[in-house]
Amino acid sequence: MSQPTQEEEILAQQAVRGPGDAPPEHESSGLSQGQIVRKRFFGHTGALIGLAVFALIFILAFTSVGVAGIPGWWKYNHLDVSPLVGDGAPTAGLVPPAWGEHPFGQDRIGRDLFAMTMRGAQQSITIMILIGAIAGILGAVIGGLAGYFRGWVEAVLMRITDVIIIIPVLLLAAVVAQIAGRRDEGSMFAAFANANGILVLGVFLGLVSWVGLARLVRGEFLTLREREFVDAARISGASNARIIFKHILPNAVGVLIVNVTLTMSAAILLETALSYLGVGVKSPDTSLGLLISQNQEAFATRPWLFWFPGLFIVLICLSINFIGDGLRDAFDPRQKKFNAKKASDANAPAVEKSAATAFDGTKGD
Amino acid sequence: MVTYIVRRLVTAALILLGASFLVYLLTASSGDPLADLRASNAPNKQQLMNARTELLDLDTPAPIRYFKWLAGAAQCLVPFAGTCDLGKSVSGQPITEALGIALVQTLTLVTGATILAILIGISLGIVTALRQYSALDYGVTFMAFLFFSLPIFWVAVLLKEYGAIGFNDFLRNPEIPLPTALGVGAVAGLLVAVAVGGELRRRLITGGAVFAAVTLILIYFSATQWFKTPGLGPVVIAVAGAGIAVAVTVLVAGLRNRRALQSSLIVVALGVIAYFAVQPLLDQATALMIALLGLATVLVGVAVGYFMGGYDRGQSMRVAGITAFLVGGLVVMDRFMQAWPSYFSNSRVRGRPIATIGAGTPNIEGDFWVLGTDTFTHLILPTIALILVSLASYTRFTRSSMLEIMNMDYIRTARAKGLSERSVIMGHAFRNALIPIATIVAFDIGALIGGAVITESVFSVRGMGFLFLDGITHIDPNPVMGVFVCVAVTAMVFNLIADLAYSALDPRVRIKA
Amino acid sequence: MRFGRISQAVGVAAAAALALSACAGTSGGSTSSTAAAGGQQGGSVAVAETNGFSSFNPGTADGNSDVNGHIGYATHSSFIYIDDKLNIVRNEKFGKYEKVSDNPLTVKYTVNEGVKWSDGTQVSAADLLLSWASGSGYYDDADAEAKTGTTYFKTAADTSGLNLTDFPELGSDGRSLTLKYSKPYADWELAYSFPGNGGVDIPAHVVAKQAGLKDTQALVDLLKGLKRGDSKAPKPEDASLKAVADFWSTGFESKTLPSDPSLYLSNGPYIIKSVVPEQSVTLVRNKDYNWGPSPKLDEIVVRTIGAAPAQVQALKNGEVDIINPQASADTVEQLKALTGVNLLLGNQLSYDHLDLNFSGPLAEKNVREAFLKTVPRKDIVDKIIKKIDPQAKPLDSQIFVPAQAAYADSAAKNGSSMYQDVDVDGAKKLLNGATPEIRIMYNKDNPNRVDAYSLIRESATKAGFKIVDGGLGKADWSSSLGDGSYDATIFGWINSGVGVSGTPQIFKTGGGSNYNGFSDADADKAMDELIVTTDKAKQDELQTKIDATIWKSAYGVPLFQSPDVKASSDQISGVTAMPNQTGVWWNVWDWSRK
Repeated sequence: MSQPTQEEEILAQQAVRGPGDAPPEHESSGLSQGQIVRKRFFGHTGALIGLAVFALIFILAFTSVGVAGIPGWWKYNHLDVSPLVGDGAPTAGLVPPAWGEHPFGQDRIGRDLFAMTMRGAQQSITIMILIGAIAGILGAVIGGLAGYFRGWVEAVLMRITDVIIIIPVLLLAAVVAQIAGRRDEGSMFAAFANANGILVLGVFLGLVSWVGLARLVRGEFLTLREREFVDAARISGASNARIIFKHILPNAVGVLIVNVTLTMSAAILLETALSYLGVGVKSPDTSLGLLISQNQEAFATRPWLFWFPGLFIVLICLSINFIGDGLRDAFDPRQKKFNAKKASDANAPAVEKSAATAFDGTKGD
Repeated sequence: MVTYIVRRLVTAALILLGASFLVYLLTASSGDPLADLRASNAPNKQQLMNARTELLDLDTPAPIRYFKWLAGAAQCLVPFAGTCDLGKSVSGQPITEALGIALVQTLTLVTGATILAILIGISLGIVTALRQYSALDYGVTFMAFLFFSLPIFWVAVLLKEYGAIGFNDFLRNPEIPLPTALGVGAVAGLLVAVAVGGELRRRLITGGAVFAAVTLILIYFSATQWFKTPGLGPVVIAVAGAGIAVAVTVLVAGLRNRRALQSSLIVVALGVIAYFAVQPLLDQATALMIALLGLATVLVGVAVGYFMGGYDRGQSMRVAGITAFLVGGLVVMDRFMQAWPSYFSNSRVRGRPIATIGAGTPNIEGDFWVLGTDTFTHLILPTIALILVSLASYTRFTRSSMLEIMNMDYIRTARAKGLSERSVIMGHAFRNALIPIATIVAFDIGALIGGAVITESVFSVRGMGFLFLDGITHIDPNPVMGVFVCVAVTAMVFNLIADLAYSALDPRVRIKA
Repeated sequence: MRFGRISQAVGVAAAAALALSACAGTSGGSTSSTAAAGGQQGGSVAVAETNGFSSFNPGTADGNSDVNGHIGYATHSSFIYIDDKLNIVRNEKFGKYEKVSDNPLTVKYTVNEGVKWSDGTQVSAADLLLSWASGSGYYDDADAEAKTGTTYFKTAADTSGLNLTDFPELGSDGRSLTLKYSKPYADWELAYSFPGNGGVDIPAHVVAKQAGLKDTQALVDLLKGLKRGDSKAPKPEDASLKAVADFWSTGFESKTLPSDPSLYLSNGPYIIKSVVPEQSVTLVRNKDYNWGPSPKLDEIVVRTIGAAPAQVQALKNGEVDIINPQASADTVEQLKALTGVNLLLGNQLSYDHLDLNFSGPLAEKNVREAFLKTVPRKDIVDKIIKKIDPQAKPLDSQIFVPAQAAYADSAAKNGSSMYQDVDVDGAKKLLNGATPEIRIMYNKDNPNRVDAYSLIRESATKAGFKIVDGGLGKADWSSSLGDGSYDATIFGWINSGVGVSGTPQIFKTGGGSNYNGFSDADADKAMDELIVTTDKAKQDELQTKIDATIWKSAYGVPLFQSPDVKASSDQISGVTAMPNQTGVWWNVWDWSRK
């Protein structure tokens, strides 16, 4: 379910910001684009909370059980089996506040669920960042080239995009999972894949997730390349590379970043869905998606196995969505009102001008 | 135009060829179809392996198998020849037949959910856009993101536990204890008070009214065992009809158009009279009859609007027609509710109406109303699950599209002309905001045909998603290819339609031939 | 030898019955009473099945799924059925079979008069003959290596038994048939209908008509006229037989109810009434049926529900009355928490085991022994199985399962006692300071095996072993069996419960499923003797000896028998657990609604 949703978001953006858009209006003179965006973003409560929650989870996940061989501060890792304490129920309590031996409980053979959840969060975040980075870079480059050069470059690149966009992600994931689960002595790649299943999965999913972004960036480039400042740059003798990277890309970066965050939040859910279907991360390594799908039967009997990893998925996904939402509002130059409270205090004239408020008819808002 | 369409179709065919080749190779290389037999210690292991090798033609390399498959699939292009051959699945079933069955299952499951998600999503999107950064906006945004973040199988398990099993247990003795009624009322009142906006006093009054109404209705339901013998009755239909008439008039014509309001109210009155008149007819209802009655209802409404006339006859007709349709819906709903007791006590249903699996009670017999209720009780949970999860994208998308439009110069112009807020929003902004939504809906139809893999598996519906997944698990390319071709063709056709519609709706977009 | 092998089979079965009933008796109070007490005549019951119905002939390689077999069982009858204690029960109302001679082994089958297909045709010798033709591979002359010859009937059955027979002799009454075996065959009573399959399934008169033959007699003549196939000298395929065999193999495949009712004829207690593809199959009572135990229910609805949680929730919501979900501790606990549900716990015939390669770092017996000493067998059972079945114990035999009579004796003598508890110190002593690197291969998609691996890894590391995770995905692990890419492996075998041909398949030098290179001259000799022995006691003695040899060579250890979970609503009576693949369906006629 997650995949089409992400595509839709991107398509939506593309459709809305189609040809004929009005040029961005800078409401605050004296501030650079970056400053305006930053100011708006930090005025967006939801995005700030999202950012804080995500940072917390990120730090917790990567320091607690360690990463890449560096040990963390938590006493177990996701593979350690220890004797069952209290039938595996969580030992953390609020009254009195206690952390205990196994704060999130243990699974049936005694692995520490806190360690597993942290490891899972690491994996999910890794997948998410990988997909975001790869899809973002590929999407920007391919979409940019197609949109800037037009002609046969565009035709070839966009046809490739069309082919990839209709290949079902599930199938690709199954093939990747298959390769990652295989161990041929001879093949370096397979050996690497076996040891780092999550990296391979993330890279492959990234390699198929760029198509929506590419279409979007191409649309953006198509509009921007016809604009006066690009003509000016060309007349003054700037090279294609300079025009693309210095002049057009900075103007398209907002759209790109916003949609990369959306791709990233969809990526976590994609990983969850794939693990549920048995083509994602493999045990005994773990991911949040694998944890909840393995433990869905435990939902009535040992709910902690189901709720803790689920909680982390929802938290990560929510925070990324809110960050994305904040970025979208910050980058969208037409949305003048970016915080209801501040707007009504500091930017009173802006409120008056805002069409939305006029319809609202709510003054105390 | 024609050149454009032909070029698009040729490109689409080439893309399809390339992608299908890739999909075939990927599926064939995604594992070992003999895996389960290899690990078996059955004495006739070799015999079984040979049989499967022959069935799946494993001795032929995958690329050549693809062309064999293509040769069969190409015959599908010959219309009405019946030579369509998409191969057989690992259990020996022809794919064409499997696709037919799966498509019906999937469409039954997802059509209603998709339509509802689009309607609700767009409405919420518009409301949140118009009230940007209000408590309502934040609330909806949060809920939309929250539901979007929930894994669907998780939602489904919870829905089954509480929506089906819990509700069925409740139906055994549908009494709502007073504290529960008060609690539900209080929550509803609180939500409305937060959502309604405006001054504190206005919020308190509205919230209080909702609290009182909800609590009283629940107490009434409990006292009359309404859940066992539900129904609306003429009074509720009349009151609700009047409400609908006013609401439709506000949205479509504005309350100042008195003729429109009058014609819609007349339609409601006619509806209440018709309620009594059609009851005997409805007892012998068929799907066709309901459709014809629905058409007749709308026509009557339009006719009333026409005769009422007014300065804008078209508006009156529209208002009356829509009102007639909705009131007709109420009457039908009431009739379904009347059938509830007989459905409830049906020996097949055993007093547990809401189902957790499948698309219908096996072997159930009954009239149109009982069968309709049966479909409803089976589809309600998967539909809710799908709506919750897919609501986010429509809501967020409509919201941003609407915000964008509301800041356009022509909206400012429209306001400057002194148009009412209603006609600015409904006439200028909403229509234009809808244009890009067409793209999304087109895109969704492809995904819709592909099925909702996880929802299908949780609710035991064996649709397209199941077929696809089953093919992947058994390393069986034929079902995978069947589903893929269906999805890809639908998606491409609808994308083309969307692009054409786009250029028709938006004069700025021109098709380059 | 007047009682011959029947008495032996019954003897085995009786012992098995004792063992099983001992299990059942201690499985706690949740096990329902087996008696169909309080059951009424009539009513309808809904049963959950994991897969969708796909074929009216469950005997074919394609159609051989659980659900097809179960529906086939309820709609067909035969000379015997197997009860929940693994006894062979004769159904004399259907027909009789008797052993005419011991040497050569000759068996005469006679169907009673009045046993009819649901279109009114008498079940005849031609039906038996067709069943024999499909189950014997008599006409096949295919050579898989050379790609020559033809395999006619695509059967899922093991043809090795019936393949020992000559062309049957048909009785003059048209209802009897005599099979003559060229060699003694221990499982002759089962040979005619492999378990899970209803027996005489496919009506010859329908196949004859559909294959373009004139009538049933033409089919009999066709079969009579052809010679036994020889894969060394393949002949061009016979078009008429091919048509018959093809129709048998594929003609009954359908996910929907065919418009031609002859494609789903019944000769058993129930008749198929309707099929909703991938959703449900409805069976109704066969009014004519009086040639077997009389069914109580008027109707059985089979509903397709894949996922275990969905099955449990459907049972809870009253949509189905009997479920057979995948066994897991959570499912069991959830079912225990439900009111109005009878939980049926049992064992499947499959078991998981750890095998060590007789090569690489484990080539030395000391190292193998040291490794086995670290395997926490009790802990594995406690953590993986006990939650499901509180009575579970580690499996102590490589050959027998506790349901078999010889198990207790063999387990006591085979040396398994050495590996009861983890002995890290003993292992360290044997290793003498060495730290061998052991790569363990297992199926990563099977949680039980993943958990067993995790526990073994934890324990073996303590003794100084360096454990490398060699787990593979579900699509790969089985094809790497025996390829030398690992040192130890965890996977499962299925014990047939009856018969001995499985033993050399796994343990003989070069055996078809001997993946770890075990080779022992004594064991080989004993197995050569085993496969020609028809005396059950002697068979047991030989197998016990082989079992001990295997244990002594530090081959590996069996871990646990897979548990089986079934549950039924307490509105239903007569449902009992059953270890083989017929499952709860074995006594479908006893089911009734209270």
